[in-house]
Amino acid sequence: MNGFLIVNGLSGLLIVSSLLVTLAGNPANSARFYALQSFILVMLFVALAGATGSGELYLWSFTALLTKVILVPAIMYRTFRRLSDPAIGSGAVMPTALSIVGAAVAVILCFGVASKVTLPAADAIKPALAVSLALFFIGLGCIVAQRNILKQVFGYCLMENGSHLTLALLAPNAPELVEIGIATDAIFAVVVMAALGSRIFDTLHTLDARQLTSLKG
Amino acid sequence: MTAMVPSILPPLLLIGPLAVAVFLLTLPWFRESLPETLATDQGSVALLERIHLGSIGYVFLLSAAALVQVLSNGAIAAFGDWLFVDALGAVFMMLIGVVGLLTGLYSIAYIRHDLEAGLIDAGKVRIYYGFFSLFLFTMLLAVTANNIIMMWAAIEATTLGSAFLVGLYGQKSSLEAAWKYVVICTVGVAFGLYGTVLVFSNAADVLADPHQAVLWTALVGHAAELDPMLVKLAFVFALIGFGTKAGIFPMHAWLPDAHSEAPSPVSGLLSGVLLKCALLIVIRFYVITVGTVGVGFPQTLLLTLGVLSVGVSSLLFFVQQDLKRKLAYSSIENVGLIVVALGVGGPLGIAAALLHAINHSVTKALFFCTAGNVLMKYGTRDLRAVKGVLRAAPATGLLMMACALALAGFPPFNIFVSEFMVFMAGLNEGYGWIMALVALFLCITIAGLVKIVADSVLGKSPETMAKGDVGWRALAPLGVLAVLVLMLGFAVPQPLSDLVQQATAVVMNGDSRPVVAAPWQQYDTVRAGGPLVTGSLSQTEISK
Repeated sequence: MNGFLIVNGLSGLLIVSSLLVTLAGNPANSARFYALQSFILVMLFVALAGATGSGELYLWSFTALLTKVILVPAIMYRTFRRLSDPAIGSGAVMPTALSIVGAAVAVILCFGVASKVTLPAADAIKPALAVSLALFFIGLGCIVAQRNILKQVFGYCLMENGSHLTLALLAPNAPELVEIGIATDAIFAVVVMAALGSRIFDTLHTLDARQLTSLKG
Repeated sequence: MTAMVPSILPPLLLIGPLAVAVFLLTLPWFRESLPETLATDQGSVALLERIHLGSIGYVFLLSAAALVQVLSNGAIAAFGDWLFVDALGAVFMMLIGVVGLLTGLYSIAYIRHDLEAGLIDAGKVRIYYGFFSLFLFTMLLAVTANNIIMMWAAIEATTLGSAFLVGLYGQKSSLEAAWKYVVICTVGVAFGLYGTVLVFSNAADVLADPHQAVLWTALVGHAAELDPMLVKLAFVFALIGFGTKAGIFPMHAWLPDAHSEAPSPVSGLLSGVLLKCALLIVIRFYVITVGTVGVGFPQTLLLTLGVLSVGVSSLLFFVQQDLKRKLAYSSIENVGLIVVALGVGGPLGIAAALLHAINHSVTKALFFCTAGNVLMKYGTRDLRAVKGVLRAAPATGLLMMACALALAGFPPFNIFVSEFMVFMAGLNEGYGWIMALVALFLCITIAGLVKIVADSVLGKSPETMAKGDVGWRALAPLGVLAVLVLMLGFAVPQPLSDLVQQATAVVMNGDSRPVVAAPWQQYDTVRAGGPLVTGSLSQTEISK
């Protein structure tokens, strides 16, 4: 059972790191924290692979290390470093304390939902399952409560990490191609969003979502 | 599930537009090693057009071939069943082939105009045609995917493939629209991913072979064994996720922006085909959910969201003054009507939903392209400035009038036939009050459409406006679309009726054969004392 304890423990760190991504002062720092979070996710995959004896999960850990810890953060760091819009500060719409409370509420609600899941595979990892769902909603919160369009991209990345973790927890023997499909799509999504974000900055000289309001009605 | 026939067609269908897209989009990297005609932007436009024509022609022919094979042999599959085309997928594949071809042909005139008007440069022409093929490829992948994770990935890819088309003009408003499009749809579709993951994880636990758990056909076969709570949750996530892409209220916020800012042929493709592809995925999840928890839960959700979509969009449609935004709201309304038909259920409801998807697809593609003609002629989409189209550009004016009347649901245009079926299905299943409410909302839309005809098509054209229509290249593809709109309004052709029946059988997961026909096609049945569109007839009755 020790392996599952590590899995559940590491999942707690995911919540902390997702808050760091959300609350970081600028997008470049968010990219660093995102790499950290993905690294925790990779360790979690390894622990889960050990606990369930799933060979596929070791492969996942490796592809996730390449894509989520190295490639995607590097793309975002390189692109976002040169873009800065001092006018919007951290871009957070809510005070920090409220964001933390919000995340806590999301975690509690998700524990409620996860406790109702009756799948045998979910028995030992219910806390981690709750965290994976919470991670998804914290990501959503990061998009809704952010004015900085670049930091909204990280919201999507958190949602994607949440889905990925759910998949690993509930279906550790999923074919490797499934995982590669998800990872590839996420890379393209980040690349397209980063490219569009840069074009918006170059054309409109702002990263503020509230400035993007010429289309209405 | 009957066995699927192995076929080379699905991969062949996909590889053509993908190859063209990769070639066009990576062209600058190896341009120096190419002959001179390609090396300059100006010289390459004509060649780009030819490559584009090749791509859309290829997609049309291959999808027609696949359609014929599906109609005669049943579902076809390839790559260990990862790719497949059943009758349900074939309906949407056909839409991509036909509407892709016609909006693609219209693009030639439209993009030439934009190039001459200085709205885009020659480099953008390459981007446009490259992404056009990529967009077709991603939609084809979505409708031919049997692997549910691939379905999600393909829908996500449609956003990424079309985002640059929406933002093509690079202006403030188009970049804003592209950004909202990407963020809202990517986030929405992330819900779709979560729903997909839930279904897959659940099935991986139940099915002996996890490689089967990823296949939609296997999931439908084992739906009864899945965990009801997880499947309900998954359906909600999938409906939110893919419903965002389909433009269902309240996840529709991206749609009016993207549809109005995109080049008009792309608007036609977005509204005519993309929304329907996303609906196909919703339908696929609906089939699994019905297999696990029965029809009650999914139908209630669909009916609620469908009626809300129709209601809200009809009001927004009426007050909108931007022609393309107006059409975008009308798309939300028609998607809402399709969702209502799905929510009504029964063989007739499902068939009505599918037929309305087809009819709306051709009609709306035609209307958006006609709006493109108006935009080329008047230089604005503001209906307060667009007056007297019939006098200024007679052919475009006539097309616009036909579109408005068709969309309002007047016979002898195609929308009438499928809307009539939706209402018959609703009344058959005992949803009289809901259908009355929907009819009331449709009246608001009719008023808005009549206003377009009265003020913009008729009316007095501006004094300074030179008489004369846009060129034949912009009119010919629209003429074909208009013929389709009329033809489908007179009668549902037998092969199409067969296809919709077979697709309905896929959704109902059994052999039920609703009557798919215009009311007057059933004249003989009614005169002989038979019922009018009663839901389903047995095989023997049909053969009579």
